Amino acid sequence: MSKPLRRGPQWLIPCAAAGALAFALTQQSRGADDARAWLEKMNQALAVRNYDGTFFHLSDGRVETMRIVHRVKAGRVTERLQSLDGSGREFVRNNDELTCYLPDKHTILVEPRQDHGPLLGSLAHFGADVGEFYSLELLPTARVLGRSAKVIVVNPKDQFRFGYRLWLDENTAMPLKSQLCDSRGQVIEQIVFARLTMPDNIPDSELTPAVSTEGMRWVRQGTSTDTAPPALLAYRASELPPGFHLTVAGAQTLGAASIPAAHLVYSDGLATVSVFVEAQSDRKSGAAGQAQVEPEAPLQGLARVGSGFAFSTVVQGHQVTAVGEVPARTVEFIAHSVKSAGDPPHP
Amino acid sequence: MSEQIREQISAFLDGELPNSESELLLKRLTRDAELRESFGRYALIGEALRGSDRVPLTRGFAERLNCAIDGEPAAASVQARHGGRPRWWRPVAGAAVAAGVAAMAVLALQQRADAPAMRASSPVTAQNRAAVAKEAISYTVPAALPEAPAVLPAARLTNYVFAHSQYSSVLGERNVLSGLLADADEQQAGDGRAVNVPAANVPAANVPAANGIRLPAPPADSRAAP
Repeated sequence: MSKPLRRGPQWLIPCAAAGALAFALTQQSRGADDARAWLEKMNQALAVRNYDGTFFHLSDGRVETMRIVHRVKAGRVTERLQSLDGSGREFVRNNDELTCYLPDKHTILVEPRQDHGPLLGSLAHFGADVGEFYSLELLPTARVLGRSAKVIVVNPKDQFRFGYRLWLDENTAMPLKSQLCDSRGQVIEQIVFARLTMPDNIPDSELTPAVSTEGMRWVRQGTSTDTAPPALLAYRASELPPGFHLTVAGAQTLGAASIPAAHLVYSDGLATVSVFVEAQSDRKSGAAGQAQVEPEAPLQGLARVGSGFAFSTVVQGHQVTAVGEVPARTVEFIAHSVKSAGDPPHP
Repeated sequence: MSEQIREQISAFLDGELPNSESELLLKRLTRDAELRESFGRYALIGEALRGSDRVPLTRGFAERLNCAIDGEPAAASVQARHGGRPRWWRPVAGAAVAAGVAAMAVLALQQRADAPAMRASSPVTAQNRAAVAKEAISYTVPAALPEAPAVLPAARLTNYVFAHSQYSSVLGERNVLSGLLADADEQQAGDGRAVNVPAANVPAANVPAANGIRLPAPPADSRAAP
Protein backbone atom coordinates (compact mmCIF):
# COMPACT_ATOMS: atom_id res chain seq x y z
CA MET A 1 0.00 0.00 0.00
CA SER A 2 2.54 2.57 1.07
CA LYS A 3 5.06 1.69 -1.63
CA PRO A 4 3.41 3.54 -4.51
CA LEU A 5 2.86 6.51 -2.26
CA ARG A 6 6.57 6.89 -1.68
CA ARG A 7 7.31 6.56 -5.36
CA GLY A 8 5.45 9.74 -6.13
CA PRO A 9 1.99 11.20 -5.96
CA GLN A 10 1.86 12.14 -9.65
CA TRP A 11 1.29 8.47 -10.44
CA LEU A 12 -1.65 8.38 -8.10
CA ILE A 13 -3.54 11.43 -9.27
CA PRO A 14 -4.90 10.18 -12.61
CA CYS A 15 -5.53 6.86 -11.01
CA ALA A 16 -7.53 8.35 -8.17
CA ALA A 17 -9.43 10.60 -10.54
CA ALA A 18 -10.35 7.70 -12.78
CA GLY A 19 -11.26 5.69 -9.75
CA ALA A 20 -13.48 8.41 -8.38
CA LEU A 21 -15.20 8.80 -11.72
CA ALA A 22 -15.72 5.09 -12.09
CA PHE A 23 -17.03 4.96 -8.55
CA ALA A 24 -19.49 7.72 -9.21
CA LEU A 25 -20.66 6.11 -12.41
CA THR A 26 -21.18 2.73 -10.84
CA GLN A 27 -23.01 3.98 -7.79
CA GLN A 28 -26.27 4.13 -9.63
CA SER A 29 -25.99 0.74 -11.21
CA ARG A 30 -24.73 -0.72 -7.96
CA GLY A 31 -27.92 0.44 -6.29
CA ALA A 32 -29.84 -1.31 -9.03
CA ASP A 33 -27.72 -4.44 -8.67
CA ASP A 34 -28.33 -4.51 -4.94
CA ALA A 35 -32.03 -4.07 -5.56
CA ARG A 36 -31.99 -6.90 -8.08
CA ALA A 37 -30.13 -9.14 -5.62
CA TRP A 38 -32.80 -8.45 -3.01
CA LEU A 39 -35.56 -9.23 -5.48
CA GLU A 40 -33.90 -12.55 -6.22
CA LYS A 41 -33.72 -13.26 -2.51
CA MET A 42 -37.39 -12.42 -2.18
CA ASN A 43 -38.36 -14.76 -4.98
CA GLN A 44 -36.29 -17.47 -3.41
CA ALA A 45 -37.87 -16.90 0.00
CA LEU A 46 -41.42 -16.88 -1.41
CA ALA A 47 -40.74 -20.11 -3.25
CA VAL A 48 -38.79 -22.24 -0.79
CA ARG A 49 -39.59 -21.05 2.74
CA ASN A 50 -42.43 -22.10 4.97
CA TYR A 51 -44.59 -19.20 6.00
CA ASP A 52 -47.94 -18.43 7.53
CA GLY A 53 -49.16 -14.88 7.46
CA THR A 54 -52.22 -12.69 7.53
CA PHE A 55 -52.30 -9.63 5.40
CA PHE A 56 -54.47 -6.77 4.29
CA HIS A 57 -55.20 -6.45 0.62
CA LEU A 58 -55.99 -2.82 -0.07
CA SER A 59 -57.42 -1.77 -3.38
CA ASP A 60 -59.68 1.07 -4.42
CA GLY A 61 -60.18 2.06 -0.82
CA ARG A 62 -61.38 -1.39 0.13
CA VAL A 63 -59.63 -3.74 2.46
CA GLU A 64 -59.81 -7.50 2.58
CA THR A 65 -58.14 -9.57 5.23
CA MET A 66 -56.46 -12.69 3.94
CA ARG A 67 -54.29 -15.46 5.15
CA ILE A 68 -51.57 -17.21 3.23
CA VAL A 69 -49.97 -20.49 4.27
CA HIS A 70 -47.08 -21.79 2.21
CA ARG A 71 -45.27 -25.05 2.83
CA VAL A 72 -42.44 -26.79 1.08
CA LYS A 73 -42.09 -30.34 2.30
CA ALA A 74 -40.03 -33.02 0.59
CA GLY A 75 -39.95 -30.99 -2.58
CA ARG A 76 -43.71 -30.57 -2.67
CA VAL A 77 -45.19 -27.12 -2.51
CA THR A 78 -48.60 -26.53 -0.99
CA GLU A 79 -50.10 -23.13 -0.62
CA ARG A 80 -53.41 -21.88 0.71
CA LEU A 81 -54.75 -18.40 0.20
CA GLN A 82 -57.91 -17.68 2.13
CA SER A 83 -60.25 -14.73 2.44
CA LEU A 84 -61.05 -14.05 6.09
CA ASP A 85 -63.81 -11.59 5.41
CA GLY A 86 -66.82 -13.76 4.92
CA SER A 87 -66.93 -14.75 1.26
CA GLY A 88 -65.26 -18.02 2.21
CA ARG A 89 -63.24 -18.00 -0.99
CA GLU A 90 -60.02 -19.95 -0.98
CA PHE A 91 -57.27 -21.06 -3.27
CA VAL A 92 -55.30 -24.17 -2.57
CA ARG A 93 -52.36 -25.02 -4.75
CA ASN A 94 -50.10 -27.97 -4.84
CA ASN A 95 -47.46 -29.00 -7.31
CA ASP A 96 -49.77 -29.78 -10.17
CA GLU A 97 -53.10 -28.15 -9.42
CA LEU A 98 -54.64 -24.88 -8.34
CA THR A 99 -58.11 -25.28 -6.85
CA CYS A 100 -60.35 -22.32 -6.33
CA TYR A 101 -63.21 -22.71 -3.85
CA LEU A 102 -65.98 -20.22 -4.52
CA PRO A 103 -68.68 -21.12 -2.00
CA ASP A 104 -70.55 -17.93 -2.79
CA LYS A 105 -70.91 -19.22 -6.34
CA HIS A 106 -71.29 -22.87 -5.39
CA THR A 107 -68.38 -23.58 -7.68
CA ILE A 108 -65.00 -25.20 -7.41
CA LEU A 109 -62.62 -24.46 -10.22
CA VAL A 110 -59.61 -26.66 -10.84
CA GLU A 111 -56.71 -25.52 -12.92
CA PRO A 112 -53.97 -27.97 -13.81
CA ARG A 113 -50.46 -26.73 -13.19
CA GLN A 114 -47.13 -27.82 -14.45
CA ASP A 115 -44.58 -28.84 -11.86
CA HIS A 116 -42.21 -26.08 -12.80
CA GLY A 117 -44.79 -23.40 -12.24
CA PRO A 118 -44.23 -19.83 -11.21
CA LEU A 119 -43.45 -20.91 -7.69
CA LEU A 120 -39.93 -21.43 -8.85
CA GLY A 121 -39.93 -17.98 -10.27
CA SER A 122 -39.60 -19.09 -13.86
CA LEU A 123 -40.50 -15.69 -15.23
CA ALA A 124 -39.39 -13.48 -12.42
CA HIS A 125 -35.66 -13.78 -12.34
CA PHE A 126 -35.32 -10.08 -12.84
CA GLY A 127 -32.81 -10.56 -15.60
CA ALA A 128 -30.65 -7.80 -16.97
CA ASP A 129 -33.23 -6.97 -19.65
CA VAL A 130 -35.74 -6.02 -16.96
CA GLY A 131 -33.56 -2.95 -16.45
CA GLU A 132 -34.44 -1.73 -19.88
CA PHE A 133 -38.10 -1.22 -19.05
CA TYR A 134 -37.95 -0.77 -15.30
CA SER A 135 -35.60 1.16 -13.11
CA LEU A 136 -34.60 -0.53 -9.88
CA GLU A 137 -33.78 1.37 -6.75
CA LEU A 138 -32.81 0.51 -3.22
CA LEU A 139 -34.15 3.08 -0.77
CA PRO A 140 -33.07 3.61 2.82
CA THR A 141 -34.10 0.94 5.28
CA ALA A 142 -37.53 1.34 6.88
CA ARG A 143 -39.53 -0.45 9.52
CA VAL A 144 -42.53 -2.64 8.87
CA LEU A 145 -44.22 -4.89 11.40
CA GLY A 146 -41.57 -3.94 13.90
CA ARG A 147 -38.88 -5.33 11.61
CA SER A 148 -36.16 -3.66 9.68
CA ALA A 149 -36.94 -3.77 5.97
CA LYS A 150 -35.10 -3.11 2.71
CA VAL A 151 -37.18 -0.91 0.47
CA ILE A 152 -36.99 -1.76 -3.22
CA VAL A 153 -38.62 0.26 -5.95
CA VAL A 154 -39.28 -1.28 -9.34
CA ASN A 155 -40.37 1.64 -11.47
CA PRO A 156 -41.78 1.16 -14.93
CA LYS A 157 -40.22 3.43 -17.53
CA ASP A 158 -43.43 3.81 -19.51
CA GLN A 159 -47.16 3.41 -19.09
CA PHE A 160 -47.42 -0.11 -20.45
CA ARG A 161 -46.53 -1.80 -17.18
CA PHE A 162 -46.98 -1.50 -13.47
CA GLY A 163 -44.23 -1.16 -10.92
CA TYR A 164 -43.72 -2.37 -7.41
CA ARG A 165 -42.56 -0.95 -4.13
CA LEU A 166 -41.45 -3.68 -1.81
CA TRP A 167 -40.52 -3.73 1.84
CA LEU A 168 -38.41 -6.85 2.33
CA ASP A 169 -37.56 -8.20 5.76
CA GLU A 170 -33.81 -7.74 6.19
CA ASN A 171 -33.48 -11.16 7.76
CA THR A 172 -35.68 -13.30 5.55
CA ALA A 173 -36.24 -11.20 2.37
CA MET A 174 -39.96 -11.85 2.74
CA PRO A 175 -42.12 -9.01 1.40
CA LEU A 176 -43.76 -7.57 4.52
CA LYS A 177 -45.47 -4.96 2.44
CA SER A 178 -45.81 -4.58 -1.30
CA GLN A 179 -47.44 -1.97 -3.44
CA LEU A 180 -48.43 -2.16 -7.05
CA CYS A 181 -47.91 1.23 -8.66
CA ASP A 182 -48.56 2.85 -11.98
CA SER A 183 -45.89 4.61 -14.00
CA ARG A 184 -46.32 7.75 -11.91
CA GLY A 185 -45.60 5.88 -8.74
CA GLN A 186 -49.17 6.02 -7.56
CA VAL A 187 -50.39 3.06 -5.60
CA ILE A 188 -52.99 0.89 -7.27
CA GLU A 189 -53.17 -1.74 -4.61
CA GLN A 190 -51.12 -2.98 -1.73
CA ILE A 191 -50.58 -5.93 0.47
CA VAL A 192 -49.51 -5.31 4.07
CA PHE A 193 -48.78 -8.15 6.45
CA ALA A 194 -50.14 -7.82 9.95
CA ARG A 195 -48.66 -11.12 11.07
CA LEU A 196 -46.02 -13.31 9.49
CA THR A 197 -44.37 -16.36 10.93
CA MET A 198 -41.98 -18.80 9.30
CA PRO A 199 -42.52 -22.09 11.09
CA ASP A 200 -40.32 -25.12 10.46
CA ASN A 201 -43.34 -27.36 10.27
CA ILE A 202 -46.85 -26.65 9.08
CA PRO A 203 -49.46 -29.35 9.72
CA ASP A 204 -51.71 -30.51 6.87
CA SER A 205 -54.71 -29.14 8.72
CA GLU A 206 -53.50 -25.59 8.09
CA LEU A 207 -53.54 -26.27 4.37
CA THR A 208 -56.96 -27.87 4.19
CA PRO A 209 -59.75 -25.65 2.88
CA ALA A 210 -62.42 -24.77 5.41
CA VAL A 211 -65.09 -24.94 2.69
CA SER A 212 -67.60 -27.76 2.54
CA THR A 213 -67.60 -29.12 -1.00
CA GLU A 214 -71.06 -30.62 -0.72
CA GLY A 215 -73.40 -29.54 -3.50
CA MET A 216 -70.68 -27.59 -5.26
CA ARG A 217 -70.23 -27.65 -9.00
CA TRP A 218 -66.76 -28.75 -10.09
CA VAL A 219 -65.30 -27.14 -13.17
CA ARG A 220 -62.02 -28.51 -14.41
CA GLN A 221 -60.07 -26.50 -16.92
CA GLY A 222 -58.11 -28.35 -19.56
CA THR A 223 -54.38 -28.70 -19.43
CA SER A 224 -52.04 -26.41 -21.25
CA THR A 225 -51.12 -29.30 -23.52
CA ASP A 226 -54.54 -29.36 -25.19
CA THR A 227 -54.63 -29.04 -28.94
CA ALA A 228 -56.51 -26.18 -30.51
CA PRO A 229 -57.76 -26.06 -34.10
CA PRO A 230 -54.96 -24.96 -36.44
CA ALA A 231 -56.94 -21.88 -37.46
CA LEU A 232 -56.75 -20.62 -33.88
CA LEU A 233 -53.07 -21.36 -33.54
CA ALA A 234 -52.28 -19.05 -36.44
CA TYR A 235 -53.20 -16.01 -34.35
CA ARG A 236 -50.49 -13.73 -33.00
CA ALA A 237 -50.20 -10.17 -31.76
CA SER A 238 -48.98 -8.26 -34.79
CA GLU A 239 -47.70 -5.39 -32.71
CA LEU A 240 -46.57 -5.24 -29.10
CA PRO A 241 -45.77 -2.57 -26.52
CA PRO A 242 -42.01 -2.07 -26.16
CA GLY A 243 -40.22 -4.96 -24.50
CA PHE A 244 -42.99 -7.54 -24.74
CA HIS A 245 -42.24 -10.75 -26.57
CA LEU A 246 -43.93 -14.09 -27.03
CA THR A 247 -42.84 -16.59 -24.39
CA VAL A 248 -45.45 -19.35 -24.64
CA ALA A 249 -47.80 -20.44 -27.43
CA GLY A 250 -50.14 -23.27 -26.53
CA ALA A 251 -53.77 -24.16 -26.12
CA GLN A 252 -56.05 -24.72 -23.20
CA THR A 253 -59.69 -25.58 -22.65
CA LEU A 254 -61.29 -22.85 -20.58
CA GLY A 255 -64.02 -23.69 -18.12
CA ALA A 256 -66.81 -25.63 -19.77
CA ALA A 257 -65.89 -24.65 -23.34
CA SER A 258 -66.09 -27.39 -25.93
CA ILE A 259 -63.06 -26.38 -27.98
CA PRO A 260 -59.66 -25.46 -26.57
CA ALA A 261 -58.61 -21.85 -26.97
CA ALA A 262 -55.22 -20.81 -28.25
CA HIS A 263 -53.24 -19.38 -25.34
CA LEU A 264 -50.36 -17.00 -26.03
CA VAL A 265 -48.20 -15.51 -23.30
CA TYR A 266 -46.31 -12.26 -23.79
CA SER A 267 -43.82 -10.97 -21.25
CA ASP A 268 -41.43 -8.09 -20.76
CA GLY A 269 -39.42 -10.12 -18.29
CA LEU A 270 -41.56 -9.13 -15.32
CA ALA A 271 -45.14 -8.45 -16.36
CA THR A 272 -47.05 -11.03 -18.36
CA VAL A 273 -50.09 -10.85 -20.58
CA SER A 274 -52.07 -13.87 -21.74
CA VAL A 275 -54.00 -13.77 -24.99
CA PHE A 276 -56.80 -16.25 -25.55
CA VAL A 277 -58.20 -16.82 -29.02
CA GLU A 278 -61.47 -18.73 -29.15
CA ALA A 279 -63.62 -19.92 -31.97
CA GLN A 280 -66.53 -17.60 -31.36
CA SER A 281 -69.12 -19.31 -33.53
CA ASP A 282 -68.27 -22.78 -32.28
CA ARG A 283 -68.91 -22.11 -28.64
CA LYS A 284 -72.57 -22.99 -28.95
CA SER A 285 -72.05 -26.28 -30.73
CA GLY A 286 -71.04 -28.11 -27.59
CA ALA A 287 -71.22 -31.88 -27.47
CA ALA A 288 -74.61 -33.34 -26.64
CA GLY A 289 -73.52 -34.26 -23.15
CA GLN A 290 -72.65 -30.67 -22.34
CA ALA A 291 -76.12 -29.31 -22.09
CA GLN A 292 -75.03 -26.51 -19.80
CA VAL A 293 -72.88 -24.96 -22.49
CA GLU A 294 -75.06 -22.19 -23.72
CA PRO A 295 -74.47 -20.04 -26.71
CA GLU A 296 -72.55 -17.07 -25.46
CA ALA A 297 -72.64 -13.57 -26.79
CA PRO A 298 -69.31 -12.21 -27.94
CA LEU A 299 -67.41 -10.41 -25.24
CA GLN A 300 -66.33 -6.88 -25.92
CA GLY A 301 -64.72 -4.35 -23.65
CA LEU A 302 -62.56 -3.83 -20.66
CA ALA A 303 -62.83 -5.27 -17.17
CA ARG A 304 -60.73 -5.00 -14.10
CA VAL A 305 -59.53 -8.32 -12.75
CA GLY A 306 -57.64 -8.36 -9.51
CA SER A 307 -54.67 -6.11 -9.92
CA GLY A 308 -54.82 -6.14 -13.68
CA PHE A 309 -57.15 -5.90 -16.62
CA ALA A 310 -58.85 -7.98 -19.23
CA PHE A 311 -59.87 -6.70 -22.63
CA SER A 312 -62.03 -8.63 -25.06
CA THR A 313 -62.73 -8.00 -28.69
CA VAL A 314 -63.75 -9.93 -31.77
CA VAL A 315 -61.16 -10.37 -34.52
CA GLN A 316 -62.05 -12.02 -37.79
CA GLY A 317 -64.92 -13.83 -36.14
CA HIS A 318 -62.83 -15.01 -33.22
CA GLN A 319 -63.08 -14.02 -29.61
CA VAL A 320 -59.80 -12.47 -28.51
CA THR A 321 -59.16 -11.70 -24.83
CA ALA A 322 -55.99 -10.28 -23.36
CA VAL A 323 -55.49 -10.57 -19.59
CA GLY A 324 -52.62 -9.50 -17.40
CA GLU A 325 -51.42 -7.62 -14.34
CA VAL A 326 -50.69 -4.63 -16.55
CA PRO A 327 -52.44 -1.32 -17.21
CA ALA A 328 -55.64 -1.27 -19.25
CA ARG A 329 -53.85 0.24 -22.23
CA THR A 330 -51.52 -2.73 -22.49
CA VAL A 331 -54.23 -5.38 -22.74
CA GLU A 332 -56.15 -3.17 -25.16
CA PHE A 333 -53.10 -2.60 -27.31
CA ILE A 334 -52.27 -6.27 -27.51
CA ALA A 335 -55.83 -7.51 -28.03
CA HIS A 336 -56.39 -5.04 -30.85
CA SER A 337 -53.22 -6.09 -32.61
CA VAL A 338 -54.07 -9.80 -32.70
CA LYS A 339 -54.36 -11.18 -36.23
CA SER A 340 -54.21 -14.50 -37.93
CA ALA A 341 -50.86 -14.94 -39.59
CA GLY A 342 -52.55 -17.27 -42.07
CA ASP A 343 -55.29 -14.93 -43.26
CA PRO A 344 -55.01 -11.75 -45.25
CA PRO A 345 -55.64 -8.79 -42.97
CA HIS A 346 -59.14 -7.46 -42.98
CA PRO A 347 -59.67 -4.17 -44.77
CA MET B 1 -64.53 5.00 15.32
CA SER B 2 -62.59 5.63 18.47
CA GLU B 3 -59.54 7.78 18.53
CA GLN B 4 -57.55 4.84 19.80
CA ILE B 5 -58.33 2.78 16.75
CA ARG B 6 -57.46 5.63 14.46
CA GLU B 7 -54.16 5.88 16.23
CA GLN B 8 -53.58 2.19 15.84
CA ILE B 9 -54.37 2.18 12.15
CA SER B 10 -52.15 5.13 11.58
CA ALA B 11 -49.32 3.61 13.58
CA PHE B 12 -49.74 0.32 11.75
CA LEU B 13 -49.48 1.98 8.38
CA ASP B 14 -46.41 3.81 9.59
CA GLY B 15 -44.85 0.51 10.60
CA GLU B 16 -44.76 1.61 14.21
CA LEU B 17 -47.42 -0.56 15.81
CA PRO B 18 -45.99 -3.33 18.01
CA ASN B 19 -46.68 -6.87 16.81
CA SER B 20 -49.07 -7.71 19.63
CA GLU B 21 -51.20 -4.69 18.85
CA SER B 22 -51.08 -5.42 15.12
CA GLU B 23 -52.71 -8.74 15.80
CA LEU B 24 -55.44 -7.16 17.86
CA LEU B 25 -56.07 -4.62 15.15
CA LEU B 26 -56.22 -7.40 12.61
CA LYS B 27 -58.87 -9.20 14.63
CA ARG B 28 -60.96 -6.10 14.90
CA LEU B 29 -60.67 -5.42 11.20
CA THR B 30 -61.68 -8.93 10.31
CA ARG B 31 -64.87 -8.50 12.30
CA ASP B 32 -65.75 -4.97 11.40
CA ALA B 33 -66.53 -4.07 7.79
CA GLU B 34 -66.95 -0.40 8.57
CA LEU B 35 -63.58 -0.28 10.20
CA ARG B 36 -62.03 -1.94 7.17
CA GLU B 37 -63.49 0.76 5.02
CA SER B 38 -61.94 3.49 7.12
CA PHE B 39 -58.67 1.63 7.16
CA GLY B 40 -58.65 1.47 3.40
CA ARG B 41 -59.35 5.15 3.13
CA TYR B 42 -56.55 6.09 5.48
CA ALA B 43 -54.13 3.87 3.70
CA LEU B 44 -54.90 5.45 0.37
CA ILE B 45 -54.68 8.94 1.69
CA GLY B 46 -51.45 8.13 3.46
CA GLU B 47 -49.86 6.80 0.34
CA ALA B 48 -51.02 9.79 -1.60
CA LEU B 49 -49.23 11.99 0.86
CA ARG B 50 -46.09 10.01 1.15
CA GLY B 51 -45.72 9.77 -2.57
CA SER B 52 -45.85 13.47 -3.14
CA ASP B 53 -44.50 16.75 -1.96
CA ARG B 54 -46.57 17.72 0.96
CA VAL B 55 -48.09 21.11 1.02
CA PRO B 56 -49.05 21.77 4.59
CA LEU B 57 -52.58 22.93 5.07
CA THR B 58 -53.50 25.46 7.63
CA ARG B 59 -55.13 23.84 10.56
CA GLY B 60 -58.24 25.87 10.24
CA PHE B 61 -58.79 24.67 6.71
CA ALA B 62 -58.29 21.04 7.59
CA GLU B 63 -60.55 21.36 10.56
CA ARG B 64 -63.35 22.91 8.58
CA LEU B 65 -63.10 20.18 6.02
CA ASN B 66 -63.11 17.41 8.55
CA CYS B 67 -66.13 18.89 10.21
CA ALA B 68 -67.83 19.22 6.89
CA ILE B 69 -67.16 15.65 5.99
CA ASP B 70 -67.64 13.46 8.97
CA GLY B 71 -68.80 15.85 11.59
CA GLU B 72 -65.80 15.10 13.72
CA PRO B 73 -63.69 17.86 15.07
CA ALA B 74 -60.34 17.50 13.45
CA ALA B 75 -56.81 17.15 14.40
CA ALA B 76 -56.40 19.65 17.15
CA SER B 77 -57.23 17.48 20.12
CA VAL B 78 -55.25 14.58 18.80
CA GLN B 79 -52.22 16.61 18.12
CA ALA B 80 -52.31 17.90 21.63
CA ARG B 81 -52.45 14.38 22.96
CA HIS B 82 -49.40 13.42 21.01
CA GLY B 83 -47.22 16.25 21.98
CA GLY B 84 -47.71 18.08 18.73
CA ARG B 85 -46.56 15.22 16.55
CA PRO B 86 -49.34 14.93 14.02
CA ARG B 87 -49.91 11.72 12.18
CA TRP B 88 -49.68 12.08 8.46
CA TRP B 89 -53.26 11.54 7.60
CA ARG B 90 -55.09 13.54 10.12
CA PRO B 91 -54.91 17.10 8.90
CA VAL B 92 -55.61 16.20 5.35
CA ALA B 93 -57.94 13.25 5.53
CA GLY B 94 -61.01 15.33 5.09
CA ALA B 95 -59.50 17.31 2.28
CA ALA B 96 -58.50 14.24 0.36
CA VAL B 97 -61.88 12.67 0.75
CA ALA B 98 -63.51 15.84 -0.44
CA ALA B 99 -61.22 15.91 -3.42
CA GLY B 100 -62.07 12.32 -4.07
CA VAL B 101 -65.76 13.03 -4.17
CA ALA B 102 -65.20 15.84 -6.60
CA ALA B 103 -63.01 13.63 -8.69
CA MET B 104 -65.63 10.95 -8.87
CA ALA B 105 -68.09 13.38 -10.28
CA VAL B 106 -65.61 14.51 -12.89
CA LEU B 107 -64.67 10.97 -13.63
CA ALA B 108 -68.24 9.87 -14.09
CA LEU B 109 -68.73 12.54 -16.69
CA GLN B 110 -65.51 11.74 -18.45
CA GLN B 111 -66.26 8.10 -18.45
CA ARG B 112 -69.59 8.59 -20.08
CA ALA B 113 -68.15 10.85 -22.70
CA ASP B 114 -65.32 8.46 -23.40
CA ALA B 115 -67.24 5.24 -23.53
CA PRO B 116 -67.14 4.97 -27.32
CA ALA B 117 -63.43 5.67 -27.22
CA MET B 118 -62.83 2.15 -25.99
CA ARG B 119 -62.40 1.16 -29.58
CA ALA B 120 -59.16 3.06 -29.82
CA SER B 121 -56.63 0.68 -31.16
CA SER B 122 -53.39 2.43 -30.47
CA PRO B 123 -52.33 3.88 -27.15
CA VAL B 124 -50.72 6.83 -28.83
CA THR B 125 -53.87 8.40 -30.15
CA ALA B 126 -55.59 11.47 -28.87
CA GLN B 127 -58.47 9.35 -27.63
CA ASN B 128 -56.15 7.43 -25.50
CA ARG B 129 -54.67 10.51 -24.07
CA ALA B 130 -58.00 10.96 -22.38
CA ALA B 131 -57.64 7.47 -21.05
CA VAL B 132 -54.24 8.37 -19.69
CA ALA B 133 -55.73 11.22 -17.80
CA LYS B 134 -58.23 8.89 -16.26
CA GLU B 135 -55.61 6.36 -15.44
CA ALA B 136 -53.90 8.94 -13.36
CA ILE B 137 -56.86 9.23 -11.06
CA SER B 138 -56.33 7.20 -7.97
CA TYR B 139 -57.10 7.40 -4.29
CA THR B 140 -60.78 7.73 -4.83
CA VAL B 141 -63.32 5.05 -4.38
CA PRO B 142 -64.13 3.90 -7.89
CA ALA B 143 -67.29 5.44 -9.09
CA ALA B 144 -70.01 2.91 -9.70
CA LEU B 145 -71.19 3.75 -13.15
CA PRO B 146 -74.57 2.32 -13.95
CA GLU B 147 -74.19 3.44 -17.57
CA ALA B 148 -71.15 1.30 -18.12
CA PRO B 149 -72.16 -2.17 -19.24
CA ALA B 150 -70.78 -5.15 -17.41
CA VAL B 151 -69.40 -6.67 -20.54
CA LEU B 152 -67.25 -9.48 -19.26
CA PRO B 153 -69.16 -12.07 -17.25
CA ALA B 154 -67.37 -12.98 -14.06
CA ALA B 155 -67.32 -16.70 -14.69
CA ARG B 156 -65.54 -16.40 -18.01
CA LEU B 157 -63.22 -13.78 -16.63
CA THR B 158 -62.28 -16.05 -13.80
CA ASN B 159 -61.43 -18.79 -16.26
CA TYR B 160 -59.15 -16.47 -18.19
CA VAL B 161 -57.47 -15.15 -15.09
CA PHE B 162 -56.88 -18.65 -13.81
CA ALA B 163 -55.37 -19.87 -17.00
CA HIS B 164 -53.22 -16.77 -17.08
CA SER B 165 -52.07 -16.77 -13.48
CA GLN B 166 -49.66 -19.65 -13.86
CA TYR B 167 -47.57 -17.53 -16.16
CA SER B 168 -47.42 -14.57 -13.81
CA SER B 169 -44.43 -13.71 -11.71
CA VAL B 170 -44.51 -14.77 -8.09
CA LEU B 171 -45.75 -11.39 -6.97
CA GLY B 172 -48.00 -10.94 -9.96
CA GLU B 173 -49.72 -14.20 -9.28
CA ARG B 174 -50.25 -13.41 -5.63
CA ASN B 175 -51.71 -10.05 -6.59
CA VAL B 176 -53.99 -11.53 -9.21
CA LEU B 177 -55.25 -14.29 -6.97
CA SER B 178 -55.83 -12.14 -3.92
CA GLY B 179 -57.55 -9.67 -6.20
CA LEU B 180 -59.90 -12.44 -7.26
CA LEU B 181 -60.65 -13.32 -3.66
CA ALA B 182 -61.32 -9.71 -2.89
CA ASP B 183 -63.61 -9.27 -5.86
CA ALA B 184 -66.23 -11.54 -4.42
CA ASP B 185 -68.76 -8.86 -3.61
CA GLU B 186 -68.65 -7.04 -6.85
CA GLN B 187 -68.87 -10.10 -8.99
CA GLN B 188 -71.82 -11.31 -7.04
CA ALA B 189 -73.55 -8.04 -7.42
CA GLY B 190 -73.34 -7.72 -11.14
CA ASP B 191 -71.76 -10.82 -12.60
CA GLY B 192 -68.76 -8.93 -13.79
CA ARG B 193 -67.25 -5.63 -13.03
CA ALA B 194 -68.23 -2.70 -15.04
CA VAL B 195 -65.87 -1.09 -17.44
CA ASN B 196 -64.01 0.92 -14.90
CA VAL B 197 -60.69 2.21 -15.82
CA PRO B 198 -59.16 1.90 -12.37
CA ALA B 199 -60.85 4.75 -11.30
CA ALA B 200 -59.04 6.94 -10.14
CA ASN B 201 -56.89 9.71 -9.73
CA VAL B 202 -57.48 13.28 -10.01
CA PRO B 203 -55.70 15.27 -12.63
CA ALA B 204 -53.96 18.02 -10.77
CA ALA B 205 -56.02 20.69 -12.42
CA ASN B 206 -59.20 19.32 -10.93
CA VAL B 207 -58.09 19.56 -7.34
CA PRO B 208 -55.88 22.54 -7.01
CA ALA B 209 -54.43 22.59 -3.54
CA ALA B 210 -57.46 20.90 -2.08
CA ASN B 211 -55.41 18.09 -0.72
CA GLY B 212 -51.99 19.43 -1.36
CA ILE B 213 -51.15 16.55 -3.64
CA ARG B 214 -49.23 17.64 -6.64
CA LEU B 215 -49.27 15.15 -9.40
CA PRO B 216 -46.39 15.03 -11.78
CA ALA B 217 -47.02 16.10 -15.32
CA PRO B 218 -48.23 13.26 -17.47
CA PRO B 219 -45.29 11.48 -19.00
CA ALA B 220 -44.97 11.04 -22.72
CA ASP B 221 -47.40 8.58 -24.15
CA SER B 222 -44.83 6.01 -24.88
CA ARG B 223 -41.20 5.66 -24.23
CA ALA B 224 -38.95 6.52 -27.12
CA ALA B 225 -37.32 3.48 -28.59
CA PRO B 226 -33.75 3.14 -27.38
